[in-house]
This record gives sequence, structure tokens and C-alpha cells, in this order.
Amino acid sequence: MDNNDALLRLLRDFFNLPPDIRPEEITQKKVGAWDSLAMVQLIADLQGTFLVDFDLDEIGALRCYEEIRGTLVKKGISLTKTPVSNAQP
Amino acid sequence: MNSVRHWIANHPEPQKEAILEAIASSSLAKIRYALRLMEELEPTRQGPAFRVELLGTYSLEPLRPVLQLALNCLPARAELRIGPLDAIETHISQAVDVAGQELPDARVVLWRAEELLPEVLYPFSNGFPDGITSRRDQLLGRIEGVVRLHQQSAREVPLFLSTIPQPVNFSNPILAAQHRAGLFSVLGAINQKIYDLATDNSGIYVVDVAAWARGEGRSYESVGLDFMARQPFSAAGQVSVALYLARSLRPLIVPRKKALAIDLDNTLWGGVLGEDGRENLQIGPEFPGNVHLRIQRELLELKEKGIALILLSKNNEEEVEEAFSSLPQMILKLDDFAARMINWKTKPENLREAAQELRLGLDSFVFVDDSDYEREQMRQLNPEVLILNEDSDPLRTLNALWETDAFDSLFITKEDRQRHHEYQIRQAREVEAHQDDLGAFLKSLEMTATVEAVAAPNLDRVASLLAKTNQFNLTTRRHSRAEVAKFAEATESVVLALRLRDKFGDQGIIGVAIAVPAQEKRTLVVDTFLVSCRALGRGVEDALWAAVVNCAHRKGIRKLEAEYVATAKNELVADFYDKLGLHRVGGNGSIRRYELTPVEPCSFPLWISAMSYDHG
Repeated sequence: MDNNDALLRLLRDFFNLPPDIRPEEITQKKVGAWDSLAMVQLIADLQGTFLVDFDLDEIGALRCYEEIRGTLVKKGISLTKTPVSNAQP
Repeated sequence: MNSVRHWIANHPEPQKEAILEAIASSSLAKIRYALRLMEELEPTRQGPAFRVELLGTYSLEPLRPVLQLALNCLPARAELRIGPLDAIETHISQAVDVAGQELPDARVVLWRAEELLPEVLYPFSNGFPDGITSRRDQLLGRIEGVVRLHQQSAREVPLFLSTIPQPVNFSNPILAAQHRAGLFSVLGAINQKIYDLATDNSGIYVVDVAAWARGEGRSYESVGLDFMARQPFSAAGQVSVALYLARSLRPLIVPRKKALAIDLDNTLWGGVLGEDGRENLQIGPEFPGNVHLRIQRELLELKEKGIALILLSKNNEEEVEEAFSSLPQMILKLDDFAARMINWKTKPENLREAAQELRLGLDSFVFVDDSDYEREQMRQLNPEVLILNEDSDPLRTLNALWETDAFDSLFITKEDRQRHHEYQIRQAREVEAHQDDLGAFLKSLEMTATVEAVAAPNLDRVASLLAKTNQFNLTTRRHSRAEVAKFAEATESVVLALRLRDKFGDQGIIGVAIAVPAQEKRTLVVDTFLVSCRALGRGVEDALWAAVVNCAHRKGIRKLEAEYVATAKNELVADFYDKLGLHRVGGNGSIRRYELTPVEPCSFPLWISAMSYDHG
């Protein structure tokens, strides 16, 4: 596990996952709390935390850690850095 | 953020840290983490139970964690009930039929133009202008109908109506502003209706989402999430709106601060009187004197709303008096201060004396001072006092006065507006009382007490007294407005408010008693007995007790049960029932139980020269 992985930290806090969970275990199918309501909130949180906007077709492909990671990396986000704050200056 | 910091000041460090971090970062993941930590707290440390019902035309369920955390921070053990989407009237009319479901402590309606009046987004496809005007009028009728429906089914529950923010997305804002049937004018008319309903109806309040949204700009919106889930807020918007909603509801469970103690030099004017001389003080329309002038304006407004102003200044009193009377630009006069502590004692000591003089608890005070030393000393010696400003900059002090929620309230009563006068009279009375025979002095006040049944016209004041009274309060039960209304409706209960008039004028409602049926037949339990601190020392408590006993007697009650529940602040009344001659029947360390039997008619204090009843 990479403790510097901002996405992993976000998903662990968001879904209350065990600290030693492996990234490949974080999927919509395996995480019980990952329902459609949580999905809305997760998208809001990802957009706010990494200051990105997802295209409509990207939203449909955010079903697991790997997919989210891939989408963020494609948008030029480095996940080993501390996430950018949502807060207004 | 500063508000939340003082809301959760007594929380354990891990919870405090997690909450502040979650809010500062607007991270929904961290919000969820903080919420889990809050749930680990003992229920007794979570605050009072607070049931909030939310009804919306847009999806509120996704906001549940952030709303829950914001309400828990008040602090409160919040129970959040979110009604079905866009079914406001149906839910309100059905909710009364839900067996076993207690009424909420507050009901909130959140609505917006996108669902209420979608035609206004496309006016030219919808018969502009007449078609839009007609739809607007229908909607105004609908909003009135929601209030009526609520009043029919749950009148005693405070209803908060949100105003309508500008839609997240619409085209051509320039044209929309040009006509009375345009978007902005129509929204203005709807919001005006909402303000009118709150003005004209007791128990109806506004949660001004439109004002909040204007303050946030577009950063609160998420167009994508709105299309996807009919949830219009970004992560930062969710955190912000949840805190705004919590702040709007907070006055229901947390009374406002009662007093502001403020420093003089470099705060109410620029410069130091003793060093610079009064002719060199900065106060007036030019910068930086205008900042100090504005601070004075804020204080004057607080005074008019019933907040006691206390002047704490290390200066020579005579010099201060000369400065106040000779500087023409001063907005505040020395008479505007309920207490003036101008001497060389420490400020914490002076503040404690002022608190005693005004019969206020230290936790009712807010303190402002430009000196780091003075603020730190106050923080350490009087930790109950809320320190409002963080540094010596007068502009930031002014900003702190604008932003603070310490003086938030949902309404200002007539009694609040007279409070400064009350404080002045109290001081005069204290002086007189020390000089003359107390009995003769009390008689000279020409007091008239009127006992009123608790009902809609006085319910706000009664609820406010229940929330705020600490010292002369036998049980300190913080019943909500809704609970009081329920007690008052029960015919077998005795629920009384005592209004006092004296030669100085109408003092308003200053006492409340609630007695409810016990299990034993023809027996009442005195659930609440309190007298406002501003009426203490005048024997009105004896009048209120006489009213309870006589009312119980008329109802055929044979026994009154009563109790004293000790708190950190009500030592004053520990022996109250003993003095009245009630029989002590038990209790433990913090509770004393009493009985009065038989219940015989009781006379009023001699110095209350007349007593009339509005109560049947």
C-alpha cells in the first residue's frame, strides 16, 4: 500500500475501509457502501479534491480504484502528492 | 470556520481536529471520517437531542452525511429526517398520521425555481409575460398553502422556508433583468412572499439560501451533479450550505450571548487616550477613524437588540468621560454601556464584577480587545468567555463582529429591545435598595403581575426564557417551543407565564411555570419554574408560585410535587421550595424532591399591589 496515494486515502476515508485494504479490492462491486447515492458524493469529492471536471463518459467509468486512478492520471493529476484543498482561499 | 471552532470548543481533541480539517478542506471523505468519530462520543457529550425534518424539491439524501455532521457540531444529537423527493405537501399532510413518530423540533423546506417554476427559465416558450405572471401567482398561492398545511398539522413546530436562489443555469441574464415577468423579478416576488410569511406568522422562519448562494458565487454549484442526481452542490457547496443551515437552526437550541465586553483604546477609537491625548484620537469619517466609527455603529445596533455593552478600559475615568462628551463624532455615549469598568484592575476581574452586577453568567459574555495580552489573560482566567477577535487590527475586529454567530437569534422580542433600559433600571434599583428599606422600596415600584396562559402570542418569549434562564431555574429543562406548545394544549396541565409591569413600564414576561399531571390522580408535578434574572430580588417568584398553587387548586388538584435539580448555575434557588414551606420528601446529591399537600389558595406578596388574570 502506498501511504502517499491521495486517491487511496480518499477512498478509505470515504467508505470507511480498513487501512490495509489493497487497491484492487476497492471496486463498486466489492464495497457495499458504494451505491448510487455514494457515487454522486464520491464524484463531487473527487472533483473538489483534485480540481477536475469529469466528462459524461468518464463518469460512467469510475467504478473502481484503478478506473478512477486512470481517469485522474489522464487529466494530469499526480496521486502521490497531497491533494489540493477544496477550500476557498 | 471560526463559528464551528467555538461550537465544538468542548469536544475532545481528535473529534475537533477531524471536524476542522474536514471543513477546511471541504473533503466529503474527511466529513464522513469526522462523522464516524463524532458518533463514538458518549451521547451526553453530543449535546441535546434535535430532530430536524428536511423536505426538498431537489435531492437531499446525498447531503445526509454533511448535514448530519454540521448539525452534530451545534452541538446536538441530531436526528435527520429527509422526506421523499418533491412531495412537500403530501408529506406534511401525512406526517401527522404517522403513529408513534414524534414531531420534529424543526421542519425545513428547501426548494428552488428549477422544480417550483421551471417555466421562468424559458419564459418565451411559456406565454411571457402573462403566462409567467399567472404561474408566479399560482406559486405564491402554493407557498401560502404549504404554510397553512403546516400550521394545521404541526403549528408548534418551527417551520423554516428557504428562499429561492438564482438557478444554477439559465441563458440570457441581461434580458432576464429587464421585465417584471423576467426571472429575477419573479424570484424577487417569490422571496418577498417568503419574507412576508415569516414576518406575519409566529413560528415561521426563513433559511435564506438565496442570500447564501449570492455570497458563495458560482463555486457552490455542480451542473453535472444536478443533471446526474438532481443534487446541485459541489463538495465545497455542500459543506457550506450544511453549515449555513445549521447556523440558521442553531438559535432554536443555543441561546445567543447576552453581553459584549469591549476595550476602548485602539478599538472604539484609534490611539491611546492617556498617551495621545483626546484631540489626537482617530474617530470620524476619514480612514482609519471610520473603521472605529463603524465598530461603534455595530455595537449600538447590538445594544438596541438587547445585548448588554460593557466598557472595560484601563484609563482614568474622568479622562474617558471627557473624551466621550467632547468628541463630536462618537456614536456611542457612555450611557449606552450597561456597565462601565474604567479603572486599573485586571480585565478578567472587572468582567467578573460586571457579570455579577448584571446577574449574567460568564458564558454569556463575548470579549473584544486589541491587546494580545488582555485576550490571553481573559482566555486563561475566564475561559467561559468567548474571545471574538484574534489580533489588534481594527478592520479584522470589525469583520469578526460582522461574521460572528454569537448574537444570532431568529427574532428580537419587545423585552429584548427594552433590555438596556432594564439594565439601567436595575442598577438604579440596586442603589436605591441599599439606601432605603427594601420592603418600602419594592412597594414603591408599583408592581402589577399578570398571569397569562401560554399560547401562540407569548410562545416565542416563553421558549426563549426556557432556553436562556440559568440562575432562577429550578430544573433547567430546555423544552423546545414545540414541547411547550404541547404542554400548554393539555387541559389538565398548568402552564403559566408571568408578566410584570412597574412604574418604569412594562417589563414583559419574566416568569414561566409548567406543571404536568403525575401518575397519581389529582396530582401535578412542577416540571419547570423559572424567573428571568432581570426580575430577581423583587419577590415576583412568590407571585408566580401563588399563581401556580391557585390555578392547581381551581382544577381540584390535591398534591403538588416539585423538585430542585442542581446545576452549576442555579445554587441561588437551592432552598426555594424549603422557603415556600414545601415538605422535602427525598432526592439524591443533585436532586431534591418536595411535596405540597393539601393545595390551598395562596396569597400574593404585599408589595405586588395588584394582580390580574388573563388565565381562566
